[in-house]
Amino acid sequence: MKNVVIAGYVRSPFHFATKGALARVRPDELAARVVEALVERTGVPPEDLEDLLVGCAFPEGEQGFNVARLIGFLAHLPLSVAGATVNRFCGSSMQAIHMAAGAIQLDAGDAFICAGIESMSRVPMGGFNPMPSPKLMADYPQAFVSMGVTAENVAKAYQISRADQEAFAVLSQQKAAAAQAAGKLAGEIVPIEVGGALVEQDGCIRAETTKETLAGLKLAFDQAGTVTAGTSSPLTDGASAVLVCTETYAERRGLTPLARIKSVAVAGCKAEIMGIGPVHASKKALARAGIKSGDLEVVELNEAFASQALASIGDLGLDPATVNLDGGAIALGHPLGATGARITGKAAQLMQRTGARYGLATQCIGGGQGIATVLEAVR
Amino acid sequence: MTIRQAAVIGAGVMGSGIAAQIANAGVPVRLLDIVPQGAADRNVLAKGALERMAKADPAPFMSQRAMRLVTPGNLEDDLAELTEADWIVEVIVENLALKQDLYRKLEAVRRPGSIVSSNTSTLPLAQLTEGLPESFARDFLITHFFNPPRYLRLLEVVAGARTRPDAVAAIRAFGDQALGKSVVRCKDTPGFIGNRIGVYWMQAALVEAFAMNLPVEEADLVMGRPLGIPKTGVFGLADLVGLDLMPHVAASLRAALPAGDAFHEVDRPMPLVERLIKDGYTGRKGKGGFYRLQKTAGGRVKEALDLASGEYHVAAKPRLEAVDAAKTGGPRALFESDEPAAQWAWRVMRGTLAYAASLVPEIADDITAVDAAMRLGYAWKWGPFELLDKIGPAWFRARLEAEGLPVPPLLRQVGEGRFYRVEGGQLQHLTVPGGYADVVRPDGVLLLEDVKRRAKPVLKNSSASLWDIGDGVACFEFTSKMNALDPDTLELLDKSIAAVKKDFKALVIYNEGSNFSVGANIGLALFAANAAVWPMVEDLVAKGQKVYRKLKHAPFPVVAAPSGMALGGGCEICLNAAAVQAHAETYIGLVEVGVGVIPGWTGSTEMLTRWTQHKQRPGGPMPPIAKVFELIGTAQVAKSAAEAKEMLFLRAGDGITMNRDRLLADAKAKALSLVEGYQPPAPAEIALPGPTARLALEMALEGFRQSGKATVHDEVVAKQLAVVLSGGCTDITQTITDEALLKLERDAFMTLIRTPATLARIEHMLDTGKPLRN
Repeated sequence: MKNVVIAGYVRSPFHFATKGALARVRPDELAARVVEALVERTGVPPEDLEDLLVGCAFPEGEQGFNVARLIGFLAHLPLSVAGATVNRFCGSSMQAIHMAAGAIQLDAGDAFICAGIESMSRVPMGGFNPMPSPKLMADYPQAFVSMGVTAENVAKAYQISRADQEAFAVLSQQKAAAAQAAGKLAGEIVPIEVGGALVEQDGCIRAETTKETLAGLKLAFDQAGTVTAGTSSPLTDGASAVLVCTETYAERRGLTPLARIKSVAVAGCKAEIMGIGPVHASKKALARAGIKSGDLEVVELNEAFASQALASIGDLGLDPATVNLDGGAIALGHPLGATGARITGKAAQLMQRTGARYGLATQCIGGGQGIATVLEAVR
Repeated sequence: MTIRQAAVIGAGVMGSGIAAQIANAGVPVRLLDIVPQGAADRNVLAKGALERMAKADPAPFMSQRAMRLVTPGNLEDDLAELTEADWIVEVIVENLALKQDLYRKLEAVRRPGSIVSSNTSTLPLAQLTEGLPESFARDFLITHFFNPPRYLRLLEVVAGARTRPDAVAAIRAFGDQALGKSVVRCKDTPGFIGNRIGVYWMQAALVEAFAMNLPVEEADLVMGRPLGIPKTGVFGLADLVGLDLMPHVAASLRAALPAGDAFHEVDRPMPLVERLIKDGYTGRKGKGGFYRLQKTAGGRVKEALDLASGEYHVAAKPRLEAVDAAKTGGPRALFESDEPAAQWAWRVMRGTLAYAASLVPEIADDITAVDAAMRLGYAWKWGPFELLDKIGPAWFRARLEAEGLPVPPLLRQVGEGRFYRVEGGQLQHLTVPGGYADVVRPDGVLLLEDVKRRAKPVLKNSSASLWDIGDGVACFEFTSKMNALDPDTLELLDKSIAAVKKDFKALVIYNEGSNFSVGANIGLALFAANAAVWPMVEDLVAKGQKVYRKLKHAPFPVVAAPSGMALGGGCEICLNAAAVQAHAETYIGLVEVGVGVIPGWTGSTEMLTRWTQHKQRPGGPMPPIAKVFELIGTAQVAKSAAEAKEMLFLRAGDGITMNRDRLLADAKAKALSLVEGYQPPAPAEIALPGPTARLALEMALEGFRQSGKATVHDEVVAKQLAVVLSGGCTDITQTITDEALLKLERDAFMTLIRTPATLARIEHMLDTGKPLRN
């Protein structure tokens, strides 16, 4: 087995869909800027790249036409670099990383850019033309259960109260706001030019959020439930990218590896409680890495909803103090296809920052799945 | 000259509202105001006004596009830009020195021959131009708008002796055709026409009510509908315009009017009003006025002020015999009642109407200008002289005499007759020297009321009429109560189609009600449903579809000309016209779900077809379906004709007329323009995805229901709508015919009309006028 490493991580600022600063930016152009910046900042010779793998949850409209190839053109990658668009809904860009790692093990390339993109302003969640199968609906309606309802289901099944969800959301906002204020996010953000001005900061974080303000919000999905907009990740525009390569290639080219990919996993689960997907996937990945959840010092667990994040943390027996050190998606935003590369890159970056030995990036996926990546420090 | 660019100086409520209306007319306009001391953004006042207007309801702008036509600026940096303006409107504070100072600045930069006007409501033109160069006076006039400028149709124009006639003509034409105003030429007298009479009326109403300690709820009840006055009455109106504004206007009239003027008799101090203003109770814009809305646990509660104690109490909903009597007996029955509120109304109106009669010809050359001003500026249904005709001028005069009050000459002049009469099919008005003169409409104005005086209908039944409006064009008019559509309407429409085919070139569908039509007669539907005569209901739905589609495929052009609300069946008739010529203030939409059904007279099919065939929509089969599902499912109504175009209730080629009085003539011209080589459209066929689309809509619906945005019956209704919009059992590889879609419409309608929850909705709507959320 070769050692595969994450050797660079960048992302665009994340902004609210529709009303945010990136609403009028095309997703292909947004992702291209991020990919370009990754090449500049890591110093990877672009002609060495085998492939550009781009995760996207709704690859149609401006995200259609095998957008990965188009992003490669827009980012001025050499024509020799191929491009493929990857779809595993919210797990899309983490899946891209897994595919790169797998290809490397097959001797099918040394260096890959794994990116993610979602403009939830410009391509609606569900796509422009949702056309579900009436037969499947009759046979297995859970396949189409809405994300908000799954959050309510998880809250009920795991008895996560509204107050607990809100405390978790407030903490996420506080961690993100503190990280932003301390300049800890600036290093990963690629400024984006919009109408002659640069968008340099995240736009979703609400530093002023308190338990009281959240307690006053209306229920978002079920009038008898517990989940509000404040305890859900917002609709977001954003792009992210990581450089995945072998450890020896990184050494040869003088690149800085952030962390080694120790193991990966995906797992299916019940669609109606898809938020618990990280538990199944992480358990498999931890077993493959030969470590226990207690060995993890850095965890990036995507906060699709506070309810599923809390349920997953509890079930995996994670130490809350290790989870989402710079805040999670409730505060930062969740541009579906871009989240996987963000949290994997972020976990690697945080392991560097904290000197951790083991890290985990994991997330839930609509339709009932989880995906996980265990990282190990490069020493 | 043509007004291609305009500027408004002063970004207050009036100035910004005028700028918005100029933009609504499609003319770019600069909105300038001063730079406040220490302002970081030098355009803050104009920008603030635009932000305020973007959120205001009722909206000053008719469309987003109109909003983009207003460029905010300031008087220090942007004066030079005024060289571009053909018309500069001054709407700054009512201060002669400040205005003249501004005029001198304007004179230095404006293009020679450009027109400058003031929106002053109190300063005489002669004073405004005093000491200014001849070149300025020649280009200057007064254009006095009423608030809100988009919605109130009166524009008073005052020209000075030195004003160029062609400048007056240019502003009259622009005000009339582009801004949609009825331009009333006024003399240079204090308060012109509207405020001279209107302020007297309000002032008299208030002081008399204070003198009697009359409950304001009772006052507004009598001084409303029975007299053809908006239901805000007089105290509600005072709250709306602002209590603080009234003393200013009164003071200016006090100073300007001669000692003998009757205004001084009603110009008495009102200590309670002064106290209210001082305490910030300036009306709706302040903490409250004669009324206020109080938030309580049970929702918002309307409170009314006691005129004696100055304390608020929960507003009463009085019932007065005088008001009931007026329903059949008219205003005179109101005035003959002994009830205190009715007596108050008499005292106020005897003064107001006598005052109005005494002011012709002082403030206007004839009575028509006075009536127009009060109708259009104060939204009275009848102007003073029209109201006097309703009361009976001789009765009115006799009562004045009996009460020992002076009788103005014009009231003697009218004798036993009326102020208005019809001679040989022509409306005439009493003139000042005596005798009658024709009421002359401006060029390009064709009114059905005039046509109807001259001729008999070509066809007629209890719900509609067909008129010959000349040049081979017929006009179909709804005549039922509220212009509700019923089997008789359909029957006459069917007959009219045959008649037009035979004897005319084109058909216009138009009426002069305040609303084009609010839809089908749901009372009839409820009656039939309660009696469970389902074949009759089904027949009515089928007949509506058949006649409407006949209209669409008629061998001659049909032009619908809506104004006001065009809802449900009223909207659907427009959807089946070859073209629409809409009044700018048309509020069109398919609101059937409010009464628990779906549009069943081709509306669902037509909107689906329009959106499917729309070239600028996103690709794929679902976006048009989802769009129409939203439009119909949430009963969206366009807030202007411009917005109706965005929603595809109107098509790109449909016309918009700004001036209500020009609508019929424009519609007729549009119809005639289509006559040559007219080809009716072929029935449309579209491809729809069938069950998969229905499922997608149902999934979206499920989310709305769970999150509490849709009620139980909303879901039932929307599911039926989903069946129609998805094309039933069709498949994306096939096309579905218009006929098949109409069948789905009928079936969905019939399914819904049989549900008790739908009947409950209809009943609730008939009882309360509001939708039931069951």
